[in-house]
Amino acid sequence: MNVIFAIATGLMFALGVFQLLRRDLIKTAMGFYILFTAINLLFIAVGGFNGIFPAYSQNVERGAISDPLVQALLLTAIVISFGSYAILLGLIAISARRYNTTDSDTMDQLKG
Amino acid sequence: MGIEMLSVTPALVGLIVPRKLPRALQAWLLAGLAGGLFVWLLTYLPIIQSQGPVEINCAWVPELGLTLSLYLDGLSLLFALIITGVGAAIFLYTGYYFDDVQERGRFYTLILTFMSAMLALVLAGNILTLFIAWELTSILSFLLISFHSEKEAARTGALQALIITGGGGLALFVGLLLLGSAAGSTQISAILTSDALHDHPYTIPLTILILIGCFSKSAQFPLHFWLPGAMSAPTPASGYLHSATMVKAGIYLLARLYPVLGETALWQNALLVVGLITMGLGALYALRQTDLKAALAYSTISQLGALTALFALPEGEGIKAALVGVIAHSLYKAALFLTVGAVEHHTGTRSLLALGGLRRTMPGWALITILAGLSMAGVPPLLGFVAKEALLEAMLSAPLALVIVVASAVMTIGMALILIWKVFFGAVPENSPIHADAHPHLHTLPSALILGPAALVVISLLSGVLVEPIIAPVIAPMLEHEFHLALFSGFNFAFFLSLIALPGGIMLFITRPIWIRDVVLDRTSQGAAAYRRVIGVVEGVGDLVLRSQGGKIRYYLIVILGAMTLLMGTAGLTHISGGTFHFEFNGSADILKTMFLVVALIAMFASILYKRHLLAALALGVAGYSIGGVFLLEPAPDVALVQFLVETIGTVLLIVMLSKINAPARETAISRLWGTSKAGLIRDIVISAAVGIGVTLFALAAVLNRPTHPTITEWHIANALPELEFPDIVGAIVTDFRGMDTIIEISVFGMAALGVFTLLAWNSAENDTPLISRLSTPLTRTVARIVLPFALLLALAQLLYGGDGPGDGFTAGVTSGLGVALWYIVFGYHETRQRLAWLRPRRLIGAGILLVVVNAALPMLFGQPFLAHTNFDIPLPAHLHLSSTFIYETGIFLTVFGSTSMVLEAIAHPREIEAL
Repeated sequence: MNVIFAIATGLMFALGVFQLLRRDLIKTAMGFYILFTAINLLFIAVGGFNGIFPAYSQNVERGAISDPLVQALLLTAIVISFGSYAILLGLIAISARRYNTTDSDTMDQLKG
Repeated sequence: MGIEMLSVTPALVGLIVPRKLPRALQAWLLAGLAGGLFVWLLTYLPIIQSQGPVEINCAWVPELGLTLSLYLDGLSLLFALIITGVGAAIFLYTGYYFDDVQERGRFYTLILTFMSAMLALVLAGNILTLFIAWELTSILSFLLISFHSEKEAARTGALQALIITGGGGLALFVGLLLLGSAAGSTQISAILTSDALHDHPYTIPLTILILIGCFSKSAQFPLHFWLPGAMSAPTPASGYLHSATMVKAGIYLLARLYPVLGETALWQNALLVVGLITMGLGALYALRQTDLKAALAYSTISQLGALTALFALPEGEGIKAALVGVIAHSLYKAALFLTVGAVEHHTGTRSLLALGGLRRTMPGWALITILAGLSMAGVPPLLGFVAKEALLEAMLSAPLALVIVVASAVMTIGMALILIWKVFFGAVPENSPIHADAHPHLHTLPSALILGPAALVVISLLSGVLVEPIIAPVIAPMLEHEFHLALFSGFNFAFFLSLIALPGGIMLFITRPIWIRDVVLDRTSQGAAAYRRVIGVVEGVGDLVLRSQGGKIRYYLIVILGAMTLLMGTAGLTHISGGTFHFEFNGSADILKTMFLVVALIAMFASILYKRHLLAALALGVAGYSIGGVFLLEPAPDVALVQFLVETIGTVLLIVMLSKINAPARETAISRLWGTSKAGLIRDIVISAAVGIGVTLFALAAVLNRPTHPTITEWHIANALPELEFPDIVGAIVTDFRGMDTIIEISVFGMAALGVFTLLAWNSAENDTPLISRLSTPLTRTVARIVLPFALLLALAQLLYGGDGPGDGFTAGVTSGLGVALWYIVFGYHETRQRLAWLRPRRLIGAGILLVVVNAALPMLFGQPFLAHTNFDIPLPAHLHLSSTFIYETGIFLTVFGSTSMVLEAIAHPREIEAL
């Protein structure tokens, strides 16, 4: 199963990078979002256990539980990616107002 | 409370004391704080004398040898006394110096923080913590020099100071690391007793590096030029940082390491040569300045040179003179700086060429200047005289040095006399702005302004007359041998030299009409010119680099991604061999997971193909929910809940933002979505495929090589229930075991929200006509009204039962945020802001972070570690158990709720964002 996760991560990366390379900044933001998701998926995949029960103490007796550590890391990762995503959207909104387009190639006023 | 609280107190007070207190109250309160710390420190004097140094250790990052430790011996105590004592005078003066409330508040915050950093520097018991404090003082010095950042001179002066002291700091850092490695410990107490340094191969390089750091901080030739440039700082800062305290940090470190490194020839020669050159040149340049503050800055440089040279003397011969010198200089120079600030405040100028006759309007200040100036000149019975006697006495063994010292003393006397005479007694120059009859535009000084400097000169005088009872006990703990310190130590050679210097200086003063003509306004020293040349080269290189930057985001991305793929792919390939691939499915859950993954991939692909943004955003939402489904089946219910919530709010954000960007703006970009050339498209596909393959290899290697027995995880599983009574292990890790991560995480989240808010909502013009949302129907309005209280209730449930199942403070915050989001969608911006006026996102964020930090710090008062878990043991129905975690989660909830609402408010705001 984890092999499938790994391959799916790679595929998502390919899709995300393609999306990232669009001229349209909104598509770029979507690309970022796909990349965030892909990385989160990889986190789950590298967890130490192949669990069939949620990571609760009362389940420890019943059999394999899912790895709680990666899940805890993942919670932080999701929150931080959401924060960066919000900032990214804010930046795009403000540059769209300024240049009256979301086409990154026509935004050239910042060139040094 | 012990000395560990000492250094953080001023900074905390600086944050807490309200900025808009009445000026007198603010000034006396803060001066009282510094004075209180001074008295508190004094109580340590008998302890140190009888029991030796006080040391407090508390492990911070033990793996790196980083310990939060304090070391209070006689040397630290002396400097800490100067920092707090002079600080009290400066703080009192500051209150009356700034007329503007905002400026005063900002200045107090900075200078109190500086006081903390400086105290941390001298009290540090570990060279790494010392270094951190050292850098903090550099940064705060930068902020204080550039206090009036609208002035060009302030900005360049601040940058110059930062580059010189920061560069010196880098050298010092390497030097200290070498020192720690050579001595085998980073603890100052261990280094002081270590005998590994005598013939260690590192000794020479580390001495050179540390000396560079000390010389840059203490403005020694040829790195001295930043100090006159730093005079753009407000005068209280110049008087505090750039004469009494920060520039003495270099001297402090020299004194600190003198017992360990002081006996090497390199140390002695370097200090003697550099110190004497600095002393002579400083005194010479001081005579040639017309700007009063620049003159004082150069005379400070000269004094620092003298102190440096004293530490060159073998067997601690110079220590007594250096310590008395440090005290004397801090007292008179701070008073002189404060006087110059008053003169400038009063007349609007500090140019020696434009001032004169001020004794009529500033009689008290004239008296202060006379006393402080005469102390600087070394006239009895002031402390400056004792210091100079000690200096001459110590230098007697080195004839050449003695010549320079006497010459500098002559020049310093001349300068002090010119300063006193020109400003307060001489005739007012013809074209002076203060000229004339009734002094119409002279600014009246608040009478309390004089108290700070007056106190300093009174102490200067008292400690001079009563040098044995006052100064001797303070410096006694640092001197191993018996020593003699008195105002008058008999008709010896040093006294004779003083006698020569005094008429010499008076001669210099009297003959000034002869030589003063030749004095050109020389504000650009050699060092400053060299500095500008170096900066020019750096900027040239910067221009060259800029030329290779095309400015197209996609090319940057391609370079970054290419490098990333190369790294990840090679890492993956080298680790992939040896593992076995398992494709088998463990039951129906795995089949479902695979299906969800396929759905997610298809939805992501669709988001690429859809030209309409809204459809693409919805497709992305589908992908996110599918991933949430995968998490749920993992089974990772906590993560799945967060994923669902974040996905929802993210999609809402994206769609709301899309509606704020006008359609034509989006059309143009979309019409060129696939680029104009086929080659470009193929190139993008190739890059994406390459990255995909590289990441797949990496991911496979990561999956195959994962450890089968993750000990960390097992520890967490075993301890969640017994230690925290938390059945939910993930919740236990997030809220307790890795609680610090979560604190940082929500701080970042709050910062992100504030960032979005400042990006989008900084234009405060309110001139829009309220728009009625199309979704605003009676039904939706009712729904929105009902949903928010329910969301808050749900949030409460998540807070209370977070330990038992999925959900925690974060999900509670986002849940409530979604309730608010519905309001923004249904009611529109204006009505929402009106009806939900109780919702103050910024306050929520602040209150939340404060609650979390206070809750985490509270156990420290009871001797427990930061973030210790406390169970309140209150019997409650319905399986509730209250513990410190509940407060912690509430803080997180408030922060996240506030951040989410703030982002929504910023993005939903209808007004046009003003073009930058």
